[in-house]
Amino acid sequence: MSGIVRRFGSLIGMAAIVLFFAVSLPDTFLTARNWLNISQQISMLTVVAATMTVVMVMGDFDLSVGAMASLAGVIAAALFVAGWPVPVALASAVAVGLLGGIFNGVLVSVVGILPFVATLATLTVFSGLAFVVSDGRTVFGRDIPEGFAALARGGLPLGSADGRPLVLPNLTLIAAAVVAAVWVVLEQTSYGRRLAAIGGNAEAARLAGLPVTWLRLSAFAFTGAGAAVAGLMYASRVASANPTQGDGLMLTAIAAVFLGMTLTRGGQPRVLATLAGVVVLGVLDNGLTQMRVDSYVREVLVGAIILLAVGASALGRRSWRRQG
Amino acid sequence: MQTITQMVAGAALAAGLAGAAAAETVAVITPYLAQPGTQFYVDGFEARAAELGWDVNVIDTAGDVGAVISRIEDVTTQGVDAIVLNADPAQVGAGLQTAADAGIPVVGMDAGSHPLVAANVTSNGYAMAAETAVYVANRIGGEGGVVMFVFDPFPPVQVRGVIADAVFANHPDIEVIDRITPDVSDGGIADSRAQMEAVLAANPDPGAIAAVWAAWDQPALGALQAIEAAGRGDEGIVITGIDANPQARDAIAQGGSFEASVAQDFAGIGAAAADTVARLLAGEELRQKVIYVPTELVTAANAGAE
Repeated sequence: MSGIVRRFGSLIGMAAIVLFFAVSLPDTFLTARNWLNISQQISMLTVVAATMTVVMVMGDFDLSVGAMASLAGVIAAALFVAGWPVPVALASAVAVGLLGGIFNGVLVSVVGILPFVATLATLTVFSGLAFVVSDGRTVFGRDIPEGFAALARGGLPLGSADGRPLVLPNLTLIAAAVVAAVWVVLEQTSYGRRLAAIGGNAEAARLAGLPVTWLRLSAFAFTGAGAAVAGLMYASRVASANPTQGDGLMLTAIAAVFLGMTLTRGGQPRVLATLAGVVVLGVLDNGLTQMRVDSYVREVLVGAIILLAVGASALGRRSWRRQG
Repeated sequence: MQTITQMVAGAALAAGLAGAAAAETVAVITPYLAQPGTQFYVDGFEARAAELGWDVNVIDTAGDVGAVISRIEDVTTQGVDAIVLNADPAQVGAGLQTAADAGIPVVGMDAGSHPLVAANVTSNGYAMAAETAVYVANRIGGEGGVVMFVFDPFPPVQVRGVIADAVFANHPDIEVIDRITPDVSDGGIADSRAQMEAVLAANPDPGAIAAVWAAWDQPALGALQAIEAAGRGDEGIVITGIDANPQARDAIAQGGSFEASVAQDFAGIGAAAADTVARLLAGEELRQKVIYVPTELVTAANAGAE
């Protein structure tokens, strides 16, 4: 019994949170409309956290993702202003994300700088570039093409409820596609298993003949491209771009991955567990707002719940080992 | 974990459901609560809302504009009676659409105009500029050289310049010596000072410059520094700004060349936003989509008041 609690404690806790809101907000929480809303609200974080999982599987992390999200948004906006077609502008912004990620990979893997230091430096570089590109201004209004803003407002019609249409938002579909792609890469390919081997023991992986340098370098391309995609989703949602708007994504994404790690057997990052972590964070924001909990109290509660989950999981694992 | 979650949940419940159930519920959503000005709006709103017996929920997203959309969606799901927005509506259109679909009215609190915002409560930029431009024209007796500091790329400031242009053009003996757009990347004071130093050098005769009209306070402060550094502080050059920020109030209170600015009534905007919500809840159809709250001319006589 105690073994089950230890193994599934976090999952039970997450379920309890959902159950609590379902009981407290009987009319509004467990509705299709609310969950479609939540899925859209967390879509950007999902993309960043899912791709963050790819480097965290190796034991690395990427602090520059928030700055890259902001940079991608303002680059796309600058290209819109310059009259580029929307698809070309978006592809260019994602390409910048990919290049930025590869640059991070080179610094970490080829040059050998610690990920904390390397990506902290590139965070500053990307953020500075975002200010350079945008001249510190917010691009909005007529400069943002109608079609781009409509992307975040549209979706697949699912029917209607209470006389209002229900749609599966496009942003949710994009997030789902990214999670599926990362899942396939990490769980279904030898590439993904090799990344996990590096996370287990990088030296052993090297001695076993894995191309560790190339693997680490390439993994960072995921976080860069993912951050850029999330930044574009954000820009579409707010129909504008400013040089700091994506910055908040980084810490929350890392928190989501850690939260997810409390769900997995060995405490490794897994993309579906990360998704569960993101959902919990999104549900907390949604439910506590609906319950009219003060914004600042909400932040304290969210932080405390992350600590509880991670702390409980660490204690559980330690006593597990002791009983071993 | 489960019991702990229940404890946390219990605390959340106590914090969240303290208000009365029957009262009108109004959500105030802003990314900028940590900024001092925003706090004045919210305090003014809450004071009026308390008189009206409303249940007010103030939500801050800590600078995240995207989260404003999410929170609008959440309070729409929650079924609030009205939403008060203090963010650029152009950036949160997706959330405004959600609220509109659910039939929940949104009132802007110095937010900007938008088709889905029932009304925006703010200060009248045209009127503020008229106050200071007329102050300058009267003070210099309708004649002399005037230096203008404007910023046409930013619409709320551009309208101020338009009015000052009209007032000065209406006085045949007022000559606009220069119409300067300062570089604002460093806050606007330093570049304004440099530009003003150049104007002073080009107009060395005492009396050649009668006044400096600035569309906001920073260029006025920069011009003041330039005039004093050039040793021309006793020439009687009249300087005016707009916004009455604390630094400008200090300068005005000292009784030097910086003579006047205009203060927005932030608490008044908050209270007027509450009154506007009340009108909407009473079923009134608002004709005016923009509601102006009067501003106040700040001179040495009242600069120390706040």
